[in-house]
Amino acid sequence: MERTAILHSDSAEGKRLVSSIAMIVVLVSFSMLFASLFLGYSYFRITSPVWPPMGMDKVELFYPTLSTFAIVLSSMTFMIFRAKYFGGGDVKKTLPWLLGTIALGLGFMYTQFSLWADLKSKGFYASSGVFQSLVYSFTWIHAAHIVIALLALAYLIPVTMKKECTITEENKVNNVGKFWHFLDVIWLLMYFIIFVI
Amino acid sequence: MAFYEQHIHPKPTTFISKYIFSYDHKVIGKQFLWYGILGLGLGGIMALMIRWALAFPGEAFPLIGQFMFPETGGVIPPDTYAMLFTMHGTIMIFYAITPILIGAFGNFCIPLMIGCRDMAFPLMNMLSFWLAVLSAVLLVGSLFTPLGAAAGGWTAYPTLSTLIGSPGVGQTLWAVAIFVLGISSTMGAINYITTVITLRAPGMGYFDMPLTIWGLWLTAILNAIFLPVLGAGGLLLVFDRVFGTQFFLAGAAATSGTGDPVLFQHVFWIFGHPEVYILILPAWGIVSDILSFFSRKPAFGAKATALSMTSITILSTLVYGHHMYTTQMSPLLTQTFMTLTMTISIPSAIFFANWLGTIWKGSIKFDTPMLFSLGVVFVFGLGGLTGLYLGTVTTDLYLHDTYFVVGHFHYTMAASVLFGSFAAIYFWMPKMFGKMLNETWGKIHFWLTMLGLNGVFFGMLFVGYAGMHRRLYDPFVYDFLQKLVPINTFITWSAILMGLSQIIFVVNFVYVVFWGKEETDPNPWKVGTLEWTIPSPAPHYNFDQIPVVKCGPHELGNPNLTTDRDFQYQTEELVEA
Amino acid sequence: MNLVSFFFEGLIMAAGGAGKVHDGLTFWQRIQPPEDISEHGHLIEWLFNYTTILNIFFFALVCAGLFGFSYLYSAKRHSKPYYTYGNKKSHIMVATAIGLSVFLAIDMNITRMSNNDYTGVFINWPDEDKEEVYRVQVMAQQWAWHFRYPGKDGVFNTEDDVVYLNDLRVPAGKKVVIQMISKDVIHSLYLPNARRKVDAIPGRITRIWFKLNKPGKYDIACAEMCGTYHYRMQAKLTVYEDADMNAWMAEAQEKAIQENDPENLERYWGWTWQKTTRKEVSMN
Ligand code: HEA
Ligand code: HEA
Ligand code: CUA
Ligand SMILES: [Cu+2]
Repeated sequence: MERTAILHSDSAEGKRLVSSIAMIVVLVSFSMLFASLFLGYSYFRITSPVWPPMGMDKVELFYPTLSTFAIVLSSMTFMIFRAKYFGGGDVKKTLPWLLGTIALGLGFMYTQFSLWADLKSKGFYASSGVFQSLVYSFTWIHAAHIVIALLALAYLIPVTMKKECTITEENKVNNVGKFWHFLDVIWLLMYFIIFVI
Repeated sequence: MAFYEQHIHPKPTTFISKYIFSYDHKVIGKQFLWYGILGLGLGGIMALMIRWALAFPGEAFPLIGQFMFPETGGVIPPDTYAMLFTMHGTIMIFYAITPILIGAFGNFCIPLMIGCRDMAFPLMNMLSFWLAVLSAVLLVGSLFTPLGAAAGGWTAYPTLSTLIGSPGVGQTLWAVAIFVLGISSTMGAINYITTVITLRAPGMGYFDMPLTIWGLWLTAILNAIFLPVLGAGGLLLVFDRVFGTQFFLAGAAATSGTGDPVLFQHVFWIFGHPEVYILILPAWGIVSDILSFFSRKPAFGAKATALSMTSITILSTLVYGHHMYTTQMSPLLTQTFMTLTMTISIPSAIFFANWLGTIWKGSIKFDTPMLFSLGVVFVFGLGGLTGLYLGTVTTDLYLHDTYFVVGHFHYTMAASVLFGSFAAIYFWMPKMFGKMLNETWGKIHFWLTMLGLNGVFFGMLFVGYAGMHRRLYDPFVYDFLQKLVPINTFITWSAILMGLSQIIFVVNFVYVVFWGKEETDPNPWKVGTLEWTIPSPAPHYNFDQIPVVKCGPHELGNPNLTTDRDFQYQTEELVEA
Repeated sequence: MNLVSFFFEGLIMAAGGAGKVHDGLTFWQRIQPPEDISEHGHLIEWLFNYTTILNIFFFALVCAGLFGFSYLYSAKRHSKPYYTYGNKKSHIMVATAIGLSVFLAIDMNITRMSNNDYTGVFINWPDEDKEEVYRVQVMAQQWAWHFRYPGKDGVFNTEDDVVYLNDLRVPAGKKVVIQMISKDVIHSLYLPNARRKVDAIPGRITRIWFKLNKPGKYDIACAEMCGTYHYRMQAKLTVYEDADMNAWMAEAQEKAIQENDPENLERYWGWTWQKTTRKEVSMN
């Protein structure tokens, strides 16, 4: 085969590739986690004659929809933030969008908590059946990831404050972004699969 | 190809940064090695206790029995027996073999053999080790909880593993420990995959990688994909136990019976079957390389071997159902899984042929690593072929959950994988510690282990076919098993022999590491892969000049060579006629 | 064969089992599965032995290569290795040939046979519209087996049902259909003498059918780990000649009518029988 010695002179290019490859693997792993959950869901859904089982009624869409708005918006604000950051806009212009993203993320968490509280008040407990178990566990696990992602976003604040933007900062912003969008997509799937249909 | 050159940072100075929280892949590898050997010892002693209970029911366990079970006067009680085999299985798979093959040699070999200075993400590498430690602490800690450790088997099937079957925190801790270990291994996997893709020395194409790296890389891929599946299963199990969700509860047990215990089996085996290949792929790679090195000729059909390993990796994701025949899946599923299971033996047979082709017309040196590798060919033949009886559904209806299965997977894991690990330890010892293990004792270790091992595991096949089922505290309460008493005694004596011969190894290892004399020759085995182009033990950041690869890893016995060597380093242009 | 047997007996004696070996069995007899009392058990044994023969052949090949080459080509006998990558056409063909021969000679072969037995016998449920079968319902529980017979009215889960603990009695020479559930954890009904087992799982009904030919008393075991006393979860299987069967059943039914108290709801763990009909049979 071709045996030309390739060693990227500009290691920035190399580092960029490395971190994006690694990020792909990371996201594959996380999607397998959620995929298995969805597998469990479809398993129950297919085997049970009626859905939701035993005449229990669906979850009201109010809070889940709010959550959806929050997280979709947050993804958008993040994109704007990213564009401005790489556009070299100064801190005063970029940081607000990041903070906005974080705020929306917190908003998402808030709607989740209100969802759980609301369900509990309706006597809809994790222990009352497999449907409830699914609703709660899915939201719990997803929310746990959101919390981690929020910490990561918070970690970006000092990064953006820095004057220069080297490859390291660039990678950090990109990867946190990918993770955040990923969780957004997962939520949309959950929203449609367990709440809507 | 190397995407960028890693900078050489100054040597760490403090003890902590050198040996405890080190970023250096070589140190992390050694840490994992010690961790794994301890695990092997722990699991092994548990195995010997299991065997004792089976051979001499109602007799006090010698030496430590008195202290461990005073209330029964040293006799192993039934509930403890269940904990023993659960912990034995868990420890051996996740805390002995995985750390040795994947943790230790994955970390140590990958950067050295592909010619880079460290893993792509050293920090993550260190975290992965310390998470593994945390997980081990959780698991061992569970032994000391009021109701004792998990006792539902390493497969932890619900509803036995839910609160119905096992109250107490032991089982929960087990699930959490496995979850943490899963995170640790996934981190490792991400690191390995990225490193292999991006940091191979210039000129090194995928087929110029040693087969060891192929094995480790494919393993890492399987890990990254399937450990999260186990993670999900574990999480749901923990939810069932802690938050009272209903995933795996059903029937009379559940308040509203819509959960299903069988779902867990699906999830577990979707992970579980790839897991067994996760364990053996590195061993296969290592063996393929060592066979070639010590026959002084190129690996026979190296490309085919690599491709077979790849196709097994892919197939291994499609056959998990063969563990669940007796749960009465739909006939269609059953037949599909049976057929798919069988296809796996094509690639297996192909690299068996390649292994034999490698030693064919070689000039074989029987050093200890070679002995162990040849041993793998023997025992994996047995282990693999016994898998076929289990693959066909009708025979499995009889053999399922008997000792035949136990024999099968000990031949594949406790024999093949264990030998692979030993071969690796004996082979890379000089590069790791700059010292050689004692050859004579190594050979004694091999032959005694081989002897004991076949006594144990072939015995298991026999009693299994005779109908003795698994996880029995005292098989002889059954009339139809009475006649197996002597064979079980025989197995136990063989196990004791095997166990004791491991002590030879441990002593040899510990002695050489601390008091052994330095090995002066940086390339004692006379092979050409990149790690042997540098002094041993491998220096700080391995290569001060990133090597440029010009030929394959198995360039031995080339007749056109003019040098006094009979092999070529990978950094040398291939000599052709 | 005898040689192998002899060899192992030697080992076993040496292994100190000697004290317990006075039942005068040879090693060969020891490793035989329990006597086969079923109509179809021999299918499984046959396939097992067939696979064994093929395996022995291929493993012999492996050993021939392994030991033969190790002997012939050890460094002192064969100092000049043959330099090849094994990518000559002939090499590749040999390797593929071995791969394929293993696949065709063993795998597809035994898969086909196993599949025939599986569809032809083991899941070929007797059609209850056409033929009369002997029906039993089983509830597994930590750590005991409950067996339920329909009683006089021939209907399950009524007060005249005959229910026995750890004691299964079936007629010889008649198809037996068993349906089972589990009360708590997963168990597995294991009939060594019929070469069969099937899991008993909470929340779903699993089934098994077989036909036993040899009257007598045999062991039933639980094959799936189900807790501390899993090893003691055994029951007895009694196979009757028709006459004795009817006698016992008649008596048991009488007893059931006298002694069962209908109030005790504990007794009604049964369910309405899930009839297997031709439709289902052809479905499989
Ligand atoms: C490293 C581990 C490992 C490996 C490699 C394998 C390999 C295989 N296993 Fe095994 N297996 C386990 C570990 C492993 N297994 C474990 C741990 C369990 C039990 C888990 C539990 O229940 O606790 C298990 C259980 C298990 C079962 C479930 C049994 C039951 O519970 O009822 C089945 C069923 O199909 C099975 C089949 C196979 C098959 C077909 C292979 C195939 O990959 C084998 C392919 C290899 C060959 C076919 C041999 C090579 C070919 C030749 C030698 C031909 C000759 C060559 C020449 C002539 C040159 N295994
Ligand atoms: C790689 C995995 C592995 C390994 C190496 C082993 C090794 C052994 N195993 Fe194990 N075994 C399993 C994996 C493994 N096993 C699994 C997965 C199960 C299923 C569990 C379940 O059912 O859930 C199982 C179950 C199992 C059973 C069935 C229990 C039952 O079903 O009731 C038995 C019974 O004999 C057994 C025996 C042995 C023996 C005798 C060894 C021997 O090879 C052990 C020999 C001893 C050693 C290899 C180490 C000894 C070392 C020393 C004494 C020195 C000490 C060193 C230090 C302190 C540093 N094992
Ligand atoms: Cu019931 Cu094992
Ligand atoms: Cu498997």
